[in-house]
Amino acid sequence: MQQQEIINAILAFISDQEGSAEVFDQLALQIFSYQYKNNLPYQSLCLQKGKTPRTVKKWQDIPAVTINAFKEVTLSCGDPRQAARVFMTSGTTQGVQGKHYHPSLAVYDQSMIHNFKRHFMKDTEKIRMGILFPTAAEMPNSSLAHYLALAVQEFGTQESHYLVDSQGANIDRFMMELAQAEHTGEPYGLLGASFSFVHLLDELARRGKQFSLPKGSRILDTGGFKNRSREIALEEFYHRLEFFLGVPRTACINMYGMTELSTQFYDEGNDILPSVKSGPHWSRTRVVNPLTGAEVPQGERGVLVHCDLANFNSVTTILTEDLGVKVAGGFLLLGRAQGAAAKGCSLAVEEFIESGRGRVK
Amino acid sequence: MKERAGYLPGISEDEVAWQTVTFTRNEEVLEVAVPVLAQEQMQQLAEQIKNNSRQVLKTLAIGEIVEILDKAVAVFLDRHSPYRRKAEQLLPIVTGYDPEVIRHGLTSFLKTFRKPQLLRFLAEDLGNISLLDDFQPRAKGGFAKAFGPDLIVHVWAGNVPALPLWSLLAGMLVKSGNIGKVASAEPLFAGWFANVLAEVEPRLAGCLAIVWWKGGDEEQERSLLGQGDVVVGYGSNTSLASLRSRIPVTTRFLPYGHKMSFGLVTKDSLDARKAWQTAHAAALDVIRYDQQGCYSPHFFYVQRGGAVSPGEFAKYLAHEMECFARRYPRRALSLEEMAAQAAWRQQEELTLFSTPTKEILGDDARAWTVVYEEGAQITPSCLNRTVKVLAVDQWEEILPQLIPYRPLLQTVGVASAPRELWQIAELLGRAGVTRITSLGKMTSPEAGWHHDGRFNLLDLINMVDIESAAEEYAERLAPYVD
Repeated sequence: MQQQEIINAILAFISDQEGSAEVFDQLALQIFSYQYKNNLPYQSLCLQKGKTPRTVKKWQDIPAVTINAFKEVTLSCGDPRQAARVFMTSGTTQGVQGKHYHPSLAVYDQSMIHNFKRHFMKDTEKIRMGILFPTAAEMPNSSLAHYLALAVQEFGTQESHYLVDSQGANIDRFMMELAQAEHTGEPYGLLGASFSFVHLLDELARRGKQFSLPKGSRILDTGGFKNRSREIALEEFYHRLEFFLGVPRTACINMYGMTELSTQFYDEGNDILPSVKSGPHWSRTRVVNPLTGAEVPQGERGVLVHCDLANFNSVTTILTEDLGVKVAGGFLLLGRAQGAAAKGCSLAVEEFIESGRGRVK
Repeated sequence: MKERAGYLPGISEDEVAWQTVTFTRNEEVLEVAVPVLAQEQMQQLAEQIKNNSRQVLKTLAIGEIVEILDKAVAVFLDRHSPYRRKAEQLLPIVTGYDPEVIRHGLTSFLKTFRKPQLLRFLAEDLGNISLLDDFQPRAKGGFAKAFGPDLIVHVWAGNVPALPLWSLLAGMLVKSGNIGKVASAEPLFAGWFANVLAEVEPRLAGCLAIVWWKGGDEEQERSLLGQGDVVVGYGSNTSLASLRSRIPVTTRFLPYGHKMSFGLVTKDSLDARKAWQTAHAAALDVIRYDQQGCYSPHFFYVQRGGAVSPGEFAKYLAHEMECFARRYPRRALSLEEMAAQAAWRQQEELTLFSTPTKEILGDDARAWTVVYEEGAQITPSCLNRTVKVLAVDQWEEILPQLIPYRPLLQTVGVASAPRELWQIAELLGRAGVTRITSLGKMTSPEAGWHHDGRFNLLDLINMVDIESAAEEYAERLAPYVD
C-alpha cells in the first residue's frame, strides 16, 4: 500500500462509527506491513525479535517501540525532510529530543477532532475557550500547542483567547476572562497544561479570589506537573479546581497524550481518582510486563502499550514508561515507571552520563 | 515473618518508634521494623558511644579486639548458628538474590574477616600493628602511635548483603566507637553482627549502634553527622554531595561513590580449551548479586587474535549465562527495573540497523542479555545480568575510552598470561583503575585490599608523634639526671 492509500483507509476508519474489531485488526496488520517495509530501523528491530508480516497475525503481535526510540533513530516511513510537521518531545536525553514526523496532519487532526468532540465537547458545538499554553506559532514543534490550536479553531468561539504568553500566565487577563464568563452566564472552557493550572490556583489563593463559572463550563488539563510547578496530589488539584473555579470535578477532564502518538486518551471527569482513561476505536491499550511483552492479568500493575492506528508514519505500537492497570472500560494511569536507580553500589546510567560531561567532582 | 533491625544499646525497644519496611520474594513476606530515633535519643546514643569508646575500646589491646571480632565472625561462618541460619533465610527475601548466591557470597565475604585476615589487614595498612596500642619507635627518631577517633558515623547504602561489615570492622579495629545507618534496601545484617559482638564480648555492647533514618532526613543527618569525628558515606554522587553539605568542615569525610568495573580477556586465554573456563569465570562475576556491586562488571573487553574470536566468546558467555540462569535465577525485578531493562535492550536493538556487526544475545524472558560490539564506546550496563562484549585489538586502544571516567573506575577482572598482566596493570592504573583481580573473583576482594585505592584503616586514624626533641628535653628534666 502507498502512503495515500493508508491515509485514506485510516480516515475512513476514524469516521466509521461502528469501528469493528475485525477492521481494526486488518488495518493494524496492513499498517504494520507498510511500516515494516518503509521504516528500516523499525524493520531491523522487528527482525531481531523474529517478527515479520508473515509471523504477525494479530494487532497484539506487532512489536512495540519504546518512546526513547524516537530520540535514538528516525522512525518515519516517508522522507523525514518532506514532513509537513515535526513534533518534538519536551524531555531530552543528553540534549537529544525525540522527533515524531508527520508527512501530513490530516490523520492527526481528524483523530483529535473526533475524539475531542466526543469526550470534551459532547453535545456542545462551540464554547468560549481560554488556553493556558503558548500558541502553535510560539511552539511550532509542540504537539500540545497544535492540539490546543485545533481545539480553538474547530470548537472555540470567536472570543476564545490564549491566556499565556512568552512571559508566562497573564493573570490579569485570566481574571478578566473569568469575571466576564461569570457575568454573561455563557459556559466557559479552560484548557491547558496541568502545571499552568497549579500556578493560577496558587495565584487565586494568594489573592483570596474565587469564581463560580456558569453551568456547562468545563476544564481540560494535561501533561502532569513535570517539575514545572509544585507537585501536588491529584486529589488536591481537582478539589482546588472545583473550589476556586466552581467547575464540578465531573466536568474536569484530564487528557493523556504523548508526542509519540497521534491519538489522545480521556477520562469522564475526575470525581473519583484515579479516573478511568480510554481511547477511541482506532486505538487499543494493553497493560504488559515490559520484559516479556505479555499482558498482565486484569487488575495487576504493568506498563502501558498503546496501538494507535493514527500513527501511520512512525510506528503504531508504543511501549510507554507509564504504569497502569487494566479495568472495565479502559485503564488507570498510575504514574511513571521511575526510580530504577541501582539497588547496590554499582554505577547507574544517569550518573555515568553526567560524569562524561565532567560533572563528577 | 517479622524481624527487628538495628542495635540500640541503652535504649529499650518500647522507648523507640518503629517503622515497618516490607519485603517479598516469591510467596514469602518479611516485615522489618526499623527504629526511628528522636533527635535527643540520637544525641544521647552518640554521647554514650563516644564515652564507651574512650573508656572501653581504647583500653583493649589490638590483639584482644582481633580475637573478639574473629569470634563474632565465626558465629556467622557456622552454618548451624541461629544467626547464620537467620541470615540465610531472611537475606534472600530482603535482597531478592538467589539463596545459594547469598550463601556462597556470605561465606566467601566473611572468610576475609577471620583472625589471620584481620591481622593481614592491619599489617597492610600499619606495618607494625602495635602502633594501635603503644608509641612505637620510628626509624627517623621519635615515637608514634595511631589513635582512632571516638566516633565514626557510617552511612551505608545498597542491597549487597553484609557489605557494611567492611567499614564497621575497620572502625572497630582502630578502637573507635561506631554508629552505622543501614540502608532500607538491606537493613538487617549490620544489626545482627552488632548483637553477636555484644554477646561474644559484653564489654563492647555499648561501643557501637546500628540506626536507621529515612534517606535525606536532613535533621537526623545533621544532628548525628555533627557528632562524628569521621563520616564514612556510601551512595550515588548526588547523595554523597548532599551528605557532604551537612558535615562540619572539621570532620573527615570518606565518600565511597558508585563505581564501574569491567573485565579484560586477552587472546592468551582464548584457545579452544581455556575459552570455556574464561567465559565461565566471566559469567560468575556477572551473576553474583546480579551486578549490583561496585566491583561487578559492566562489560568485557575481549582481544582479537586468539583461537576464539571476541564474537565467539560472546556466544560462550551467553551459554554460561543461560546455564547460570537455570541454576541461580535472577532476582525478581520490580516493574520499574523491568521497564529500564526493556528500554536499555531496545536501545541496543535499534542501533543494530546502523551497526550491522553488533549482535544481541538473550532469551525471550530476558533473564540475561549479552551484546557483542565492535569499535564501540563504553557505556554502563543497566545491570541485572546485562553485559557487553567489546572487541579490541591492542590494549592501548582502551586508555582514551577510560580516561573520561577515571573517578568512576574500580575493579578489573583480568584473564591474561603473567607477562601481559603487569603491562595491563600499568595501563589500567594510569586510567584510574584501583583493583586488578582475576576473572571469577571480581566480587570477592581480598582481605586488606585498598578499597577504591585508599587505606581502609589509615584514613580513619590520626598518627600522634613524639618528636625526638621532646624526648631529649625530657631527659634533662629526669630526676636521675646527672
